[in-house]
Amino acid sequence: MMASFLVIGYVFKVADTEGMWVAGRGIGNIENGMAIGANWMSAASYLGLAGLVALSGFYGVAFIVGWTTGYFVLLIFLAAQMRRFGKYTAPDFVADRFNSPMARALAAFTTLLIAYVYSVGQARGMGLVGQYVFGLDIIPMIVVMMTITVGYLALSGMLGATKNMAVQYVILIVAFLAGVYVVGFSQGYSTILPQIEYGALFSELSRQFSEPFRANSYYLWVATAFSLIFGTCGLPHVLVRFYTVQNERTARWSTVSGLFFIMLLYWAAPAMAAFGVDLFAAVNNISPDAVYNGEQAMSGAEGDVIVVLAAQFADLPTWFVGLVAAGGMAAAIATTAGLFITASSAVAHDIYSELINPDATQRQQVLIGRATIVAIGALVTVTAFNPPALIGELVAYAFSLAGTVLFPMFFLGLWWENTNRQGALAGMTTGLLLWIGSVVNSVLPAYVGFLADIAGGPGQAIIPIYAQYVPPIGAALIGTPLVFLVTIAVSLVTPEPPLETKKMVRQCHSPEPMGQQQSAEDIVSNSGGETPADD
Amino acid sequence: MTDNDTHDSVETDGGTATQPAQAHRNTNYLDEEVNILKPSTAFMRDHLRVVWTSFVVWALIVFGPVTLTAIAPGPMSQTMPVLGFPLHYFLVAFCAPTGALILAAIYARKRDSLDEKYGIDHSTPDTGGDTGGGPDDAAATDGGVEQ
Repeated sequence: MMASFLVIGYVFKVADTEGMWVAGRGIGNIENGMAIGANWMSAASYLGLAGLVALSGFYGVAFIVGWTTGYFVLLIFLAAQMRRFGKYTAPDFVADRFNSPMARALAAFTTLLIAYVYSVGQARGMGLVGQYVFGLDIIPMIVVMMTITVGYLALSGMLGATKNMAVQYVILIVAFLAGVYVVGFSQGYSTILPQIEYGALFSELSRQFSEPFRANSYYLWVATAFSLIFGTCGLPHVLVRFYTVQNERTARWSTVSGLFFIMLLYWAAPAMAAFGVDLFAAVNNISPDAVYNGEQAMSGAEGDVIVVLAAQFADLPTWFVGLVAAGGMAAAIATTAGLFITASSAVAHDIYSELINPDATQRQQVLIGRATIVAIGALVTVTAFNPPALIGELVAYAFSLAGTVLFPMFFLGLWWENTNRQGALAGMTTGLLLWIGSVVNSVLPAYVGFLADIAGGPGQAIIPIYAQYVPPIGAALIGTPLVFLVTIAVSLVTPEPPLETKKMVRQCHSPEPMGQQQSAEDIVSNSGGETPADD
Repeated sequence: MTDNDTHDSVETDGGTATQPAQAHRNTNYLDEEVNILKPSTAFMRDHLRVVWTSFVVWALIVFGPVTLTAIAPGPMSQTMPVLGFPLHYFLVAFCAPTGALILAAIYARKRDSLDEKYGIDHSTPDTGGDTGGGPDDAAATDGGVEQ
């Protein structure tokens, strides 16, 4: 088992060095679509999604809906305009659009929080898969895998990793689909279309698998899907991909193909979950209902690796199980790498050199960046030992933060030119407080003694009604509209933004084609001659 | 329409310019307000019509089935013939994402045809130059926006 995993790891390395064929901004929509897919699919998609569907039943489907259909909103409202604006990190966009270092700091802080929460899910996934493959305890496994990831990043940076997204996508999707097809075929569940054929299995599964709103209410379902949808539109690492294409038209079409490539996995994940649950019952010799209740019920950790477990239960050769496991590992490592880079640039560039020390040298920035990676790596590792939720749910916390704080800034910033600095600051602060409040209220009492005392027990929320309507996983359903309102209200009562800024927004919506290397700022500063193009 | 035709059009189109294409040429987008509820240019009006229509359809596809399931759990969770899925499960897990994908493709096509209607060509982004070129654009002076 170990050997097979190492072999696959070696194959990955080869693929990595060959990934140099993706060139500059000349990427077409198919490759970019694959890159969107690879960038997007983390351990949460690869492992967590099937785990959620297996364990949470119909509620898990909210994650499928949230993580796919959000791309449509992104496409119609943000993709092309963001491409035209020309800034592609959240702090850069917010700072330039709202002319405010403070807004930059808030956005950078949010980015850092997102990276941290998101990575905990990934680290957990790496640990679980590693534990499964190497047979060690989960805690040493998380430490080892995170050390490898952090070490690799701190030394080499993202240089290699961004070059081979399309290759990564192919490896990831082949591993996953091979798993679904082979398990389905060898167990007699399906032949050519497991994505639809798993329906026949429903009569054999426990009713809990499909029963609507069994454990979670309709409100939570909608809140979760809503958060994931608008979180997708607020996540900076998704928007980056639109900057790498030739023109806006390619940006639009690559969103379409990206969504298709993502759905290849999302169509198959519930099938894998259904196979896994059925096999779980068969292998453990329990009734379908006992998967969810009683002593032999499926644990959270088992659910999170159901994709790998299904392959194992189906008695497939170890090298094949290793392949499926390696796909999950690759997804987790690639995403963690991307997140840590985002976090380190938020700290080193946006917080340190823009705010704390404007005279920072390159050397200092790199140093701060590396220190951030190591620090956040350590923090993530420790948190992953005893996470508050399943992989997919952990990642969803990050989405609800992005949907609450960043999405309204992107949307209003691009679609309403009168959104101003004061509005943005007020809106972002409101969103951050709301989300942090929600986490402190519902998640932290499980860890922090005195909060648990206030809440009256480790599993309780401090303010139950707040936890019910603003759960961390679905905070955006209340949060996003609230942030919109605050931003608009404050923008209306304070002075309008300068003409320069308004023109930048207008340029984002002009249908006029732009040059490949141009940003809205270049064009505005050239057209009016009010300011020289100083940067 | 505000009459601020600042473009002395350098490109000829062989007389095929349609009404919308004409309107597009006569618009200086840097002078037109951007407000999602009050589209100020002909192009934006057309574009937003597509955006809002597809957004409504999207919302129905995504949140419709689950809401129906909450209202009428019985009829919605009946087993489908042939496929064997409970209806609500299939509609949500399969149809909602697929619907979003199809809508995305439709939107991208519509947007392409809007470009065509307004005579916008993305294949040569650097020669259009109506709103001014970039710093390294040699043609920036001829089609640039004048004050």
